[in-house]
Amino acid sequence: MTATPDSDRAEQLTMLRESALSFATKESPLHRARALRRQTPGFDRRFWSALAEQGWTGLLAPETLGGYEQGFAEMAEVAAALAAQVAPEPVVPVVVFAGRLLAHAGGTELSARLLGELAEGRTLPAVAWQEDVTGAKDRLDQAATRLERQADALLLNGGKRHVRAGAGADGYIVSASGPQGLALVWVPAGTAGLTVSSQPLADGSYAAQLDLNHVRLPASHLLAQGPTAVAALTRAYDETLVMTSVELLALVRSMLAMTQDYLRTRVQFGKPIGSFQSLQHRAVDLLIQQELTASVVAQAVALLDAPDGGASARSALASRVKSRASDAGLQVAREAVQLHGAIGVTDEYDLGLYLQRALVLAAWLGNGTQQRRRYADLTRHATEQEHA
Amino acid sequence: MNPTASTDWNALDNGSFRAAVREFFETRYPGELRYPKKRLRWAEIGHWYLTLSKKGWVAPSWPTRYGGMGLSPEKIIIFIEEQERWGVARAPDMGITMVGPLLIHHGSDAQRAHYLPKIIAGEHIWCQGYSEPNSGSDLASLRTEAVADGDDFIVNGQKIWTTLAQDATHIFLLVRTDKSAKKQEGISFLLADMKTPGITVRPIRNIAGNEDFCEVFLENVRVPRANIVGELNKGWTIAKALLGFERIFLGSPKQSQYALARVQEAAQRLGLFEDSGFVDRYTKLALDVADLGALYGRFIEQVKRGELLGPDVSMLKLFATETYSRLADLLVDVMGASGALPGDIAMPGGKTDALTTFYNARPATIYGGSNEVQRNILAASVLKLPS
Repeated sequence: MTATPDSDRAEQLTMLRESALSFATKESPLHRARALRRQTPGFDRRFWSALAEQGWTGLLAPETLGGYEQGFAEMAEVAAALAAQVAPEPVVPVVVFAGRLLAHAGGTELSARLLGELAEGRTLPAVAWQEDVTGAKDRLDQAATRLERQADALLLNGGKRHVRAGAGADGYIVSASGPQGLALVWVPAGTAGLTVSSQPLADGSYAAQLDLNHVRLPASHLLAQGPTAVAALTRAYDETLVMTSVELLALVRSMLAMTQDYLRTRVQFGKPIGSFQSLQHRAVDLLIQQELTASVVAQAVALLDAPDGGASARSALASRVKSRASDAGLQVAREAVQLHGAIGVTDEYDLGLYLQRALVLAAWLGNGTQQRRRYADLTRHATEQEHA
Repeated sequence: MNPTASTDWNALDNGSFRAAVREFFETRYPGELRYPKKRLRWAEIGHWYLTLSKKGWVAPSWPTRYGGMGLSPEKIIIFIEEQERWGVARAPDMGITMVGPLLIHHGSDAQRAHYLPKIIAGEHIWCQGYSEPNSGSDLASLRTEAVADGDDFIVNGQKIWTTLAQDATHIFLLVRTDKSAKKQEGISFLLADMKTPGITVRPIRNIAGNEDFCEVFLENVRVPRANIVGELNKGWTIAKALLGFERIFLGSPKQSQYALARVQEAAQRLGLFEDSGFVDRYTKLALDVADLGALYGRFIEQVKRGELLGPDVSMLKLFATETYSRLADLLVDVMGASGALPGDIAMPGGKTDALTTFYNARPATIYGGSNEVQRNILAASVLKLPS
């Protein structure tokens, strides 16, 4: 990040927010998201190019690779604006998760090339690291998928799940256990031995399941291994948790705003139903969750942009914010449906789009309960010391 | 005049100011009174009030010309943070937090000259006469009446939930002075000496066994007309204007952080961190406390920038007190069969008090505007829901 005075940055953020919101509402009305549901790959590659033209696919990438080298505060504005329109393009999975992983794992010619192409919007890499059906057994520092070295080649065997961007990705950054510990390997789509199956998600988008059966790749496809690979994956994962929380917060804001409008205008018993105290109090509880989430999201985004944010503080805060945002997203979604009544469960009404996206984002990379367990593990040592 | 009262504390940088406050609390505040389990009476905490008074620190927010420290909001926050950090109890401070600002903004010169120095000196201890048996959440319906009689008012009625009235020398009252006006418009602010004939105090014992609050009976109490503060019949407007940024402290995470530490301590002794069911519940609450801190921090930043607080600050009080209440529930729950034992419960590794937190959590969601009233406020003012 180039150093700019705070007020300049705040002004630039406001401008970016306005342009992202205006672009998203104009170019991605809700009926666009609705029409792309359950149509593989679940998003529109031409729209992705339009995002690239805005410079948003390269927002985080270094200038030397054709990116804009902006901070997470900037990325958050774009992610929030698109999420508010339930846009199905995998901006956070690709630009943040894969993009940051390539940046942190950096060093190889291939990772630089991939990141450059990602920034330009030409290549969509996805991260394939999870293997467990619930994700509860997945660990960032190990994998059951195996990497073997055979002369100058890499050989991969195993399987991956929950890969967002799904079958629309141009390739996968696959984690595997190799001779030097964890390894990250670039597996282009279409490589012999790789089978990609699409798993439909609740919001009409897709995750991919990968089957890697004697997948043979040149040694240059090894992006990182050992502690470098673990640190890169952990950091990119934490950054992705925060940006997913940004998206969940945008969904929460949209759902609460829809609910407020409905409570003001829906008349029963001769009055707007929002005049009934029991409904008012339930709506206030949603407001509290929204504002709690907003407070922690702001803290987490600021930590990602802080030059001196330590790795363990970042992981704990990332899990904390994803826990809050996942639970708030689901609570607001459920309550919004209840406060709307029967119209809330129809496919025709837009609330369902938000609820289903909230289900996907809450579950992705660890839901509220799973993130709390990670937080407990991460902070346990500190807690015990404090107590001693 | 105390020499330190004229020190320009705002000229100190925040770090030095914090260090000075911390050093004073750590060296001068009585150790046995840290984190008291109940509201302390004047006999227990009065000497600390006098210590602060001698130091010139008893009224952090008052202007220096009235004997205060004249602190900026940012420095007041530091002062309060240090109090909370060291577990410094509130001395009966209604004179400082309510009567001072009331007189400074709305009082007459004569009232300021008479009362303010005595509050600073600890000669006058004030209590707040707002609630009545039939006017709690609906305070504006209050019926204690003051009828003009020559140069006096004759007051009849009853106040209730008056915190530490038994220790107070004076009371500030909301009284009805015009029965014909709409309910908010016939109310005035009136100051009275507790020794005035016709005032009777009856302490109320609460479920924790303490006498924190009282009933105050007013029977033909003759109060000089000069004791009206501000304009006649404008008491309600003044009372609302008195809700300054100090409301933010009702939402401080400190109380919950303290309760969380008690739960953690008990859980360590009981080996509960080996129980994943407990760890899940504990972590959820630990994150509620942490996230409350983030929300609180946002409002604190607003105060530091010198902005006025909006009605949205109510959400802080709601989440703070309800988190505290959930922690209190968890503490009783983990104590199992011992969860019904009052006071300290001896167990391996130390003593745990389960019920004090539980009892403290009960009024927290009621006072300062019940949580239900706070939700009404948020629904109307922030969510703009219809009435």
